[in-house]
Amino acid sequence: MMRLSSLLWTLLVGITGYAMFQVKYEVLQLEDQLSRLNRQIGAGQEQIRVLGAEWSFLNQPARLEQLAKRYLSLGPIGTQQIGRIEQLPRRSPMPPAAVAAAAPSSASSQLTAAPRLSNAGAGPVP
Amino acid sequence: MRPAACERDDNPCRPRHFKPAPCAPAPLEGPAMQALETSHTRLIITAALFGLAFLVIGARLVEVAGFKAGETRLVRSHAVEKPEAARAAIVDRNGVLLATTLDMPSLYANPKLIRDPERVAQKLAALLPDVGESEIAAKLASDKSFVWIKRPLTPSQEFAVNRLGIPGLQFQAEGHRVYPKGSLAAHVVGYVDRDGKGLAGIERGFDEILRDRHGPVELSLDVRVQYILRDEIARQITEFNAIGGMGIVMDVSTGEVIAMTSLPDFDPNAPGSTSDDAIFNRATLGIYEMGSTFKIFNTAMALEARTATLASSYDATRPIQIDRFTIHDDHPQRRWLTVPEIFEYSSNIGSARMALEAGSERQKDFLGRLGLLKAPAFELPEIGAPLVPSPWRQVNSMTVAFGHGISVSPLQMATAVSAVVNGGVLHRASLIKHPAGYAPSGQQVLSARTSETMRRLLRLVVERGTGKLAEAPGYLIGGKTGTAEKVAGGRYEKHGLLSSFIGVFPITEPRYVVMICIDEPQGTRESHGFATGGWAAAPAVGRVVLRMAPLVGIQPVDEESPEIRRSLMVDSLSPQGRTIAAN
Repeated sequence: MMRLSSLLWTLLVGITGYAMFQVKYEVLQLEDQLSRLNRQIGAGQEQIRVLGAEWSFLNQPARLEQLAKRYLSLGPIGTQQIGRIEQLPRRSPMPPAAVAAAAPSSASSQLTAAPRLSNAGAGPVP
Repeated sequence: MRPAACERDDNPCRPRHFKPAPCAPAPLEGPAMQALETSHTRLIITAALFGLAFLVIGARLVEVAGFKAGETRLVRSHAVEKPEAARAAIVDRNGVLLATTLDMPSLYANPKLIRDPERVAQKLAALLPDVGESEIAAKLASDKSFVWIKRPLTPSQEFAVNRLGIPGLQFQAEGHRVYPKGSLAAHVVGYVDRDGKGLAGIERGFDEILRDRHGPVELSLDVRVQYILRDEIARQITEFNAIGGMGIVMDVSTGEVIAMTSLPDFDPNAPGSTSDDAIFNRATLGIYEMGSTFKIFNTAMALEARTATLASSYDATRPIQIDRFTIHDDHPQRRWLTVPEIFEYSSNIGSARMALEAGSERQKDFLGRLGLLKAPAFELPEIGAPLVPSPWRQVNSMTVAFGHGISVSPLQMATAVSAVVNGGVLHRASLIKHPAGYAPSGQQVLSARTSETMRRLLRLVVERGTGKLAEAPGYLIGGKTGTAEKVAGGRYEKHGLLSSFIGVFPITEPRYVVMICIDEPQGTRESHGFATGGWAAAPAVGRVVLRMAPLVGIQPVDEESPEIRRSLMVDSLSPQGRTIAAN
């Protein structure tokens, strides 16, 4: 009886000890992993800062203006290019094809005028 | 049996005070029985206490392991190193980066480990062109064990120095302040010293906040408008061969500064290599006699005090002689002028007479309410205090009426004009973005009615007065020109002018004040030799408005439409006109 319980306790002590060391090493490993991840986060944040600075640097208005002059045929928006939705002609109840058949010249001018006005209207939204 | 019993009684574990009767048969009765029972009870109590302790420990174990996992994790993470927080970034109102901190390597040396300073210096100087060879050699020859060679290094320089493989040279990653927009908002953002301490601008004014803060500091600036303003002022400076210029764009309903520039400016990435003139912030630290733009306040004061109405007229037939001064007009009409005409033709004589009629007490009180007589509260440390006449005599009253004998900063001007046109509410000027929907409370400094009349008068100046060149079709600019002779050594200089224009748009419902001053412009052939505010500054304001209005979402209107014509009508002669104007 005495021997059996001693054996049982010894066994329990052994298992607990093993489990404790196991857990301890796991924790150590996790800690390593955590600090590695933290370093990675720090490096990532630093990279974001560098890229943000570069983005801001490359987007200097003076540089953008030069590039736009060189590669785009766009200019500042003139006051005539800005319209309001109310200034658009009323939409015809007929489908566009029927309008085109009925009055080809006026329909085409309407169709070309509409997108230009609406584009220009979207321009000044801040 | 007895000896055996005696032996058993010699048990070393027995309580000391328990002396069994010599060789007694230990019958379980009497005092022996009592003693045994006492020890038994004590054992049970001890066991119970221990059991309780284990129970508590066990319960705590379950609690910690099972229910408080979050708390323990929090405690743990303190032990793991975390990245150090860098100085906070500065961004504009749309989140565009203006200043940030980047880790960059700095090169230092331990001179004690360097055998041949001369040769090392030679090699380093070849790689680092902006540090002199003799300077490096002197540093390496010192008997310290730590000297900075260069802060900071570019990545390619770091690589090249590393490849030399010289022992005793080391790198240290340091937070280094970077200004990606360069000189664009240099005077607002400011700059820091090598150890990251703010020396000017927001960097200095907000030094502690920038150190402690995690998120970026959001300024009220809009980089796009800032660029437009700077670009147009720079163009005027070149065109008129001026020595400098400054400008402010301010939101009239909040006091937020949308753009502020002072030229010449500097690159905050390398502040050491700049002149004092470039570092000087003309827009906030510089104080100037503003000239005729002060007539805005003079007219508003007379109208507010009701010493004059739009129909009052004043004698501007000939110059006024007072003390050793002669007050004369730049655009002499040589007749009696009504209040709108005085404003339109910028008559000094008429303005002086208006001020005289109102009296210097009223004048002083009104200018004080507009914040023009003391230094304003502002986020930048570079703030100039105004120069105010003392004592305030009659002659001072007369000159102050047209902006001479009193010096204020352009920032104060923009703030006060905002109050005059926005319905009469003075807002503190601010460089920090207000949260969306936040309406700052201001001080009512003049009546909404006077403010309305002033808007009509300001429009008049652009429509047919001295500010015609500021016209930006569709955006209804109103404004006032100003040309002041600068004071040098106590005398006015005929050719050292400060030419300015303060514009407000759209004048029917003002959103922004745009103010531009050009410092010492010279007349050109195109301007017929003129270098006045109407020629040197007004066109730039018109162009700024044309370029910025689509960006800030202001719709152009048809100026000839009857509603707008009626709302801007100024008829100073007929009483009917006055009632329309007052509506």
